Order: sequence, then C-alpha cells, then structure tokens
Amino acid sequence: MSARIEVRSDDLALAGWVAAWLDGMRLSPPVSLAFELRLVREPLVGAEDSRTPFQQPGVEIRSGPPHGDVRITWLAAPARARIAPGALTASVELTEAALADREPLQQSFLAVVLILLLRRAGWHHVHAALARDPRGRDWLFAGDAQSGKSTTAALLATWGWAVGCDDAAFLVRNPSSVEAVAQRAPVALRPAGRALLGLAGGRPARGGRKSAFFPEDLGGTWAARVEPRILVFPRIEGERTSAAPLPAREALAELVRWSAWVVLEPELAQEHLDLLNALARQARCYRVALAPDLFHHRDLLMELVP
Amino acid sequence: MTRRYRRHPELRLTALEGEGVALHLGTRRYYTVNESGLDLLEALASPKTLDELAGVLTAKYEVTDAQATDTARAFVERGVKAGVLLLEEQP
Repeated sequence: MSARIEVRSDDLALAGWVAAWLDGMRLSPPVSLAFELRLVREPLVGAEDSRTPFQQPGVEIRSGPPHGDVRITWLAAPARARIAPGALTASVELTEAALADREPLQQSFLAVVLILLLRRAGWHHVHAALARDPRGRDWLFAGDAQSGKSTTAALLATWGWAVGCDDAAFLVRNPSSVEAVAQRAPVALRPAGRALLGLAGGRPARGGRKSAFFPEDLGGTWAARVEPRILVFPRIEGERTSAAPLPAREALAELVRWSAWVVLEPELAQEHLDLLNALARQARCYRVALAPDLFHHRDLLMELVP
Repeated sequence: MTRRYRRHPELRLTALEGEGVALHLGTRRYYTVNESGLDLLEALASPKTLDELAGVLTAKYEVTDAQATDTARAFVERGVKAGVLLLEEQP
C-alpha cells in the first residue's frame, strides 16, 4: 500500500516546481503527506519560539515541548515551515528571495521539511548509501559526506551492482525486518571521486561543484528498496581496503551518529531509536577502510564480507 | 532525607545483546552502556534509592553488597553529572 506526497498552492508554477522535485525522488510513503506552499512577502514574522534550535547545514529546527510542533527556518533567505503536532501536512512559507536560488532551497530547506514530514509516516532518515550486490545481498553504507559513500556507490554501479542512493535513505519497519528506501537522486561526485573512477560528463550538481550520475548511467541499476543484511561504516584510509566486524552495540551507536534527526520530537524518538536497533540486529556490521586498491579489484568488498 | 534517582524524562533507551544505547533528547548526546549499566537504567524508569539499585545488581550478579553499592553509586554520580539522571531528595 503506498500513497503520495501532494503539493497544494495557489501559485501553480511554484506547486509544479515542488511537485516535479518530489516526483523525481519516487518516494511512496504508506500514508498521504502534503506540502502546503504559500508565497509570502518578506520579512517573515512569527510567534516567539524559545526552544533551542537543532542546527543542520543552512537550517534551524525547533521541536518538542511546549509547542509540540516542528518549525524549520532556512538561514540563507526568508523561508520557513511548520508541521503541527501529529499532522501529515507541512505548511511552508517561501519568499521571492528564497526562490531566487532554487537548488539550495531544495537541497537544504525543502529536503529537511521532507525528512521531518516522512518521519510522521514512520520513515526515518539515515545518512547512507544503499546497494544490492550481484549475489543479491543488500548493503547499507552509513557515514558522513567525507566517508567515501558516494564514490563507493558510483564504483559499485560501474560493476553492475544495483544502487539505491548515495546519501539519503529512509528506514522503514516491516513486520519481520527493517527495509531501507532510497531517495531517487543521482550519485553526486566531487572532481576527485570522478577522476578516481575515470568518469567524464555527468549532470552538474551542488552549484557545479559536483557531477552527478544515476546508477544506470554507470552500468548499474536502481534499487528502490533494500533489506540491509550488511551494514558498513566506511572511512577513507590507508593503502589497502580492509573490513573489521563491529559489535552490534557499536554499530547502533554509529547509526545514531548518522541519524541526526533521531533526537527530534520526543514522541517519535523512541520509534526511530528502536528502528536503528532493529537494523543493527538484523545485519552483520563492519567498519571498512576504503583504499585505492578497491578500484582495481571488483570483488574485493564481497571477499572481505563473504 | 531519602535520595532517589530516576531517568531524565528526555532520555530514550534501547537495548541489544544485553547492552544498550541511551539517547538524551535535550542535550542531543548519546551514551553506550554495558550490561550492568543497562540494568540500572532500566530500573531507573521509576525512582530508586541507592540501596534499591544495589539490590538490582546483587540480584543478578555475584557481587557483595558493598561492591554493588559502590558500582551503583559511581553510576548514579556519573549519570547525574551528565544530566542523564535526576536526583530527588525527600524528607
């Protein structure tokens, strides 16, 4: 059973732009969610909110008591959103100034609103790349922007793996397992990563600082969902790629680290934490040092994690 | 004066393989806890005295009352300092 994310606005062009962005991600949450968009005059003036903000790049998020809602403020230009307690709709106010630079508006503001809205549907965000190896085993690589997730995801796609995403995944509880849903987006590579892979072209991304490739561009396929049985915490290190098993408790602590949103909204935090716990229990967990030899040995990861 | 300890209401706890991870939503810090720490945190879902906490340990582990009290005291002192536990004093 899947639903969709609706976009409502009096401004049809604005609604169409946001709807196209959402459609491109191919997310089908289990309940209907909505973005309610309003173009407003600046400056935005709102009710006093003394809650300590949770800082993420370019945004501030306030949640929890006493209001119980979630409020997201974009720091680059006047834009804000509110999700009322228990609501499945995000009320978003945008200004012309915010709309002037749409890529960062999408990537650092609307993406955060989406993450917090999907949480209401039981989908919990984790910074991770998702992949399915040629043996049909599902992998989740969790880590930050410097951990090698994107380059590894692109490399695996060139070897014919199915790749779901390179950065934003959502954990979903099923009756007997935890699944990870991929947010459809091209793998975004820095020039160094692209050079390592010997890739040319790609779509300009992140203001031209990165080049982006869908898995299909690289010879792979797209995996919309995986059921991770191998959990990897990668880091770029040394001359030889290696893998060391990680106890489940340490893996859980790592997952908490890469799931920043777990601390928000007390009524959802336990559900999120338990989901990370279930994932750490269902998977074999490894700390993997990624090194240049990985690029020359296509079965190396599968050999290290038999 | 009776001193009782309890978990901070913003603490969330999850257990796996006999150990656990505690997450403080207010400070946004997380802690890994070993088996005995998990036992104590689970017991602290409701207010407990130091003696009651020591009892949790002696009931499960082969330790003397004094060892259990020392362990429980060290745990609650660290917990209070970290803001993970609250101390209530009642006449």
